[in-house]
Amino acid sequence: MSEMHQIQLKIGPAAFRIASAWRRPLEELEALYRDFPSPTDNSVDFTVRLEPEKPWRRYIRPSVHIGGDFWLPDAAPLPLAQGLLAAEMGMNLQMALGWRRHLLLHASSVEKDGKALIMTGLSGSGKSTLSAMLAERGWRFMGDEFALLSLDTGSIFPFPRLISLKNQAIAAMQKVVPDSRFGPEMKATPKGDIRHLVPPKAAIDRMDEPARPALLLFPRFGYAPELREMGQSEIFVRLTQASTNYVALGEPGFHALTRFVDKVPARAMDYRSADQAEELIDDLWSKLL
Amino acid sequence: MTQKYRAAPKDDLIWHGLDSMTLLFHRPSGITHMLADPAPAILEVMQDAALTATEIASRLTASFDVDSDVDAENIVVARLEELSGLGLIARVSG
Repeated sequence: MSEMHQIQLKIGPAAFRIASAWRRPLEELEALYRDFPSPTDNSVDFTVRLEPEKPWRRYIRPSVHIGGDFWLPDAAPLPLAQGLLAAEMGMNLQMALGWRRHLLLHASSVEKDGKALIMTGLSGSGKSTLSAMLAERGWRFMGDEFALLSLDTGSIFPFPRLISLKNQAIAAMQKVVPDSRFGPEMKATPKGDIRHLVPPKAAIDRMDEPARPALLLFPRFGYAPELREMGQSEIFVRLTQASTNYVALGEPGFHALTRFVDKVPARAMDYRSADQAEELIDDLWSKLL
Repeated sequence: MTQKYRAAPKDDLIWHGLDSMTLLFHRPSGITHMLADPAPAILEVMQDAALTATEIASRLTASFDVDSDVDAENIVVARLEELSGLGLIARVSG
């Protein structure tokens, strides 16, 4: 086995070791995670490995295979220029398949006044972009990919990794965020055009601070602005679908999720622009107890 | 011999009511079931006893103001078969 380069990252409660056959993806990661702390005691929860698909492909048309403690056999290799994306996908995969300390919801979250707004939905719903946008408008960014629901207290813990902007969201955020917070633009990846955004400093400084969940939204981008009530049964089913570890957690997961559904008001929200979404959210937020 | 049924032991099940459905977490399998009426009512009236579909239908009539007729009993039999497929009740030899 050839020499591997490596770095360690701590994001919220999770510590990662990223090992790579190439230096470049790690240098990009290091630059983007420069304000994040290192794991304190050298112990990590997960290892992600970026390796050549075949030994000679370290040099010739290098192609990155994602490996690690948990992996999917059919994860397609990516070109080396997308090594940063491979590392981020690798970290998400470890969390999705391996994390057991919280109920993991595939959702973005932001905080204000100690209370968390959680947004979940399919890819393209705009949950990631909305969280990034709200983070520039007075909310604390907690995460754009996973909301970590505490099994004991019912609080939401942050996982403020790099924000993964796709396609039109890139230009929208470039208008409001300085260039220094962006990673390299990666064109035509399997997920479309991708550019990573470093979360605001406050999000990183306060990444160990949980918040009480106060509002759950199911955003849907591209429709006339509207808020709709939802039945508890539908909410429960959609949250089990949005959780990658609900089944694995068993009884504690059941208690955490039923408590969440009982306590947290939820709405479906259609919108066509960030301004519309912000208006709907501010109105709902002002009426919360 | 008439087929009898017995519900899963009380301690194996955690109930949680939602607006229109009932959640049942089955501890031995770790599976969450989402049940619509009348399945939760059937489990409730069965308690710990081994009962026939007729007996269950008549308990439902008594507790839930359901008409007791052949139709009701057929519905109960169909739900019992489904619940037994899910492992929430067991067939017992009568």
